[in-house]
Amino acid sequence: MIARQVRKAPIYVALVLLSLVSVVPFIWMLATSFKHSSDIYTKVPSLLPLDKQTGEWAATLENYDHVLGIGGLGQAFLNSIWVCAILVPAKLLIDALAAYAFARIPFPGRDKLFVVFLAGMMVPTITLLVPRVHITQVLGMYDTRWGLILPNIASVLDIFLLRQFFMSLPGELEEAARIDGAGRMQIFWRIVVPLSKPVLAVVTITSFIFHWNDLVWPLVVTNDPELNTLPLALQQLASTESGRAYYIMAGAALSVIPVIIVLLIFQRRIMQGIAFTGLKT
Amino acid sequence: MASPVLAERPAVEPRPGRRRRPGIGRSDQLIGWLLITPALVYFVVFLLYPAVAALYYSFTDWNLRTAPNWVGFANYTELLFNDVEFPHFWKSVQVTLQYTLIAVPLTLVSALAQALLINAIRRGSNTFRLLLFLPVVTAEAAVGAIWRWLYDPQYGLINAALGLVGIPKQNWLNTPELVIPALAFIAAWQCGISMIIYLAGLKGIPESIREAAIIDGAGPVQRFWKVVVPMLRPTTFYLVVTGTIAALQVFGLVYVIFSGGGGRSVTGGPEQSGLAYVLHIYLYAFRYDAMGAACAMSFMLLVLIMIVTALQFKFLKQEAS
Amino acid sequence: MIRRVTGIAAVAALLAGLTACGGSEEAAGSTTLTYWMFQDRTPQAGEVVEKIRTDFEKANPGVTVKIVKIPKDDYNTKLGSAVAAGTVPDVGILDQPLVARYALDKTIVEMPAGTVNEADFFEGALNTNRVDGKLYGLPVDHTAVALFYNKKLVPTPPKTWDELKQMSDAIHKADPKVAGIVVPKGDGYGAWMWPGVVHGAGGEMVDEANKKILFDQQPAVDALQLWVDLLPSSPREITDSDLAFANGLAGMMISGPWDVATIKDQFPELDFNVAPLPYKTTPAGNIGGENAVVFAKGTNAALAWKWLAFLTNSDNNTQLAQALGGFPINKAAAERDAATFGEQQQGFLEQLKVAHARPALPDWIKINDEFIAPAIEAALSGKVTSQQALTEAANKTRALLGWNS
Repeated sequence: MIARQVRKAPIYVALVLLSLVSVVPFIWMLATSFKHSSDIYTKVPSLLPLDKQTGEWAATLENYDHVLGIGGLGQAFLNSIWVCAILVPAKLLIDALAAYAFARIPFPGRDKLFVVFLAGMMVPTITLLVPRVHITQVLGMYDTRWGLILPNIASVLDIFLLRQFFMSLPGELEEAARIDGAGRMQIFWRIVVPLSKPVLAVVTITSFIFHWNDLVWPLVVTNDPELNTLPLALQQLASTESGRAYYIMAGAALSVIPVIIVLLIFQRRIMQGIAFTGLKT
Repeated sequence: MASPVLAERPAVEPRPGRRRRPGIGRSDQLIGWLLITPALVYFVVFLLYPAVAALYYSFTDWNLRTAPNWVGFANYTELLFNDVEFPHFWKSVQVTLQYTLIAVPLTLVSALAQALLINAIRRGSNTFRLLLFLPVVTAEAAVGAIWRWLYDPQYGLINAALGLVGIPKQNWLNTPELVIPALAFIAAWQCGISMIIYLAGLKGIPESIREAAIIDGAGPVQRFWKVVVPMLRPTTFYLVVTGTIAALQVFGLVYVIFSGGGGRSVTGGPEQSGLAYVLHIYLYAFRYDAMGAACAMSFMLLVLIMIVTALQFKFLKQEAS
Repeated sequence: MIRRVTGIAAVAALLAGLTACGGSEEAAGSTTLTYWMFQDRTPQAGEVVEKIRTDFEKANPGVTVKIVKIPKDDYNTKLGSAVAAGTVPDVGILDQPLVARYALDKTIVEMPAGTVNEADFFEGALNTNRVDGKLYGLPVDHTAVALFYNKKLVPTPPKTWDELKQMSDAIHKADPKVAGIVVPKGDGYGAWMWPGVVHGAGGEMVDEANKKILFDQQPAVDALQLWVDLLPSSPREITDSDLAFANGLAGMMISGPWDVATIKDQFPELDFNVAPLPYKTTPAGNIGGENAVVFAKGTNAALAWKWLAFLTNSDNNTQLAQALGGFPINKAAAERDAATFGEQQQGFLEQLKVAHARPALPDWIKINDEFIAPAIEAALSGKVTSQQALTEAANKTRALLGWNS
């Protein structure tokens, strides 16, 4: 047993080193975000908020105070939460229903339609940007919160992933339920959804991460600073406060922390779900 | 939209107590279409229409302000052959291909290495998996800000760390030769999703095959090449295809890294060494007032993506069989 | 194939229907004026703008001014999308080189006679709004870049190019860890500053009247060579660091008045001042600043011009310009308030007296980014000579514009 542990030691060393590479940027981000402006530029980078002269502990919350208030990140934070709270569940529902139909309910033209959907997946987003802004304006949602939500309310990629999963579920349970007289929707809610928790989790999380972090769409579809989402406010902070690393890092920390919390809560489900998406190819 | 749904409802309600053979019924058709309708409306309004519109604009001269002007294939031919009108088009192609060729393998190798290591241990594997996954969830805006600061030639952590092993300070984001490797390294730093997928692939290798290899006297290195690599081929294939498609479209990272702030224009780093294709599209669309050319570039990218995907399917499928 | 085409036609018809019934809210009755401007650099600047806004609303009962602030980096992207979508502001800031373009395609409207008294404005700043002799906007401030110098390292600022080179050498020799000057880069920003140096050698960028490109002539070549010559005493690995000048890692830099406040705020211990750019034959620099225009598709054009006149009158312009990081374009305001500008600002005021406007060519941004910037970069990297780089850039520009010389 002990011999085995010793044999594994180099593996642990390697993992610790790799994890350091992965995590140190975050630690540095956090350290910088708690530093006083005078302690930022040190010859030897410091991973702790220390006083430049004395080397003593000198952390401050001023930077957070600044970016949340004047920096506009407080408002942006609320906007991002609002957008994600509506968008992510609505999108999941629309995608899951469509995916279920594509996977399980035969109707004429279904598979051809699906191929058309898949082709749409390949069009680079940048291509669609300006026409999308135009149609958003025509629908009266330009520079509104709904303009941040509705043009993203479904995702072909998610429909594809969900369909693949639904197709892999054993059909017998559903057959049995049908014979017992259950309708399609009952089967969907009572059988398919409970069996699909990992993939639903991964779709939820990836779409949350994506929309929480999305910079480009909010950039072109809103003007009102009151509607700024977090990445937009952060980018704004980085470009107008150029060089003020302590503000920028405080803003970056604020944008990362909620996602990390979500990740910690759902980590097992997410890992299972992602693993699944890679296997079914 | 709401009332038709309600009106249709009774037709799809199951008839209680009556058993019938499951099959393709009229109600099935109806409910199938109903379930797909929201996604279909989205698809038509926010995907199909914009795509068709962009295709139309790609044949026009359009400055976003006045009506588009039909010019036929001029945008396409000028992009390809007129280096006065579009001096950096081919440079942006080159930059993007270089980035893809470096970033994709680098990401896969580091993802596989991490997966192999995690797969080899029990205790703590969840913790390491989580730590290595963290970079994935970070917004591009934050990633850009953090890494610009990490790569700083004087105050950056990277140069300080390299200094410890005696490597002289590098000016990462301002040396043309170093820009793409520096960007690719960030991509590899964010390899968590590939790592998880590889991990699942490794768990899917049947224990019996591994044991058989051990009995045959294969050492760890041999086992890696003879068992692990072939068994992971489908996973690798999937990751190469999705990774390539994503790398060809890299934008946010470059945009954030090279928008130095203070209204400095993002022209793609030193000597255009970071002028990613999509950044080039963005500049033509929003800075040089040439939306038509920008749309033409996007469709060329679409064609490129389709070709690359088809080639990879052909090449990798052949190799796999 | 035919079926696909009919499909597209059907989609088009559907969308036409959407367009017809799409709701667009009309601001009937109330008069709201929407004004777009760049994001404030400091909170204090925001307060100044806010005060001017409330003053205007008080002076014009029933009027609400809605101010939309957008980061400079994102401004043109947002404005472009908004114009394409047909949702322009009533009035807003427009980059100087864009005025000519927007005027030519009638996206913005000509200023009605009698809006302001043209003689109240500095002519150079006003002229950046002139297209074919007509005014399409008003400057709200103007500015110039000048030489920042660290007093500890640079006792007296260099006046000529030779002095500049000597000073840079001396600084780097005294301490190899310190660069002489932050040499601008071959990016859009560096290419924007460079014409000021060309003018300092008695040169011009273009001759618009006679359709001649001049930035491959000797003065321009000398100007670029100056930057190349400064590089050995100003290594990039020092100057590319974050805020190298403010951190005392570079003796000099070229920048605008907006950096004064930033440095004072963040590096109170740095002892620095600002002087006009060193020159070869003639003191010179380049003019920047913000122009504001009235959009054709906006509502309340008359009110919009009234607002712009308000921003630029002698009561408000000094404060506004200072908030924007520039200087008043209203002569009376500038004269009256000259004393309120700090020590460092005097260098810029000096510089503004000899500043030149950018060429008013509709394609100038593209020429700046895609031809001049790479030429500067190529020369600075040592891959080609200054003359070679500029000859190539000038030839490409000629081909683009269809000019013969």
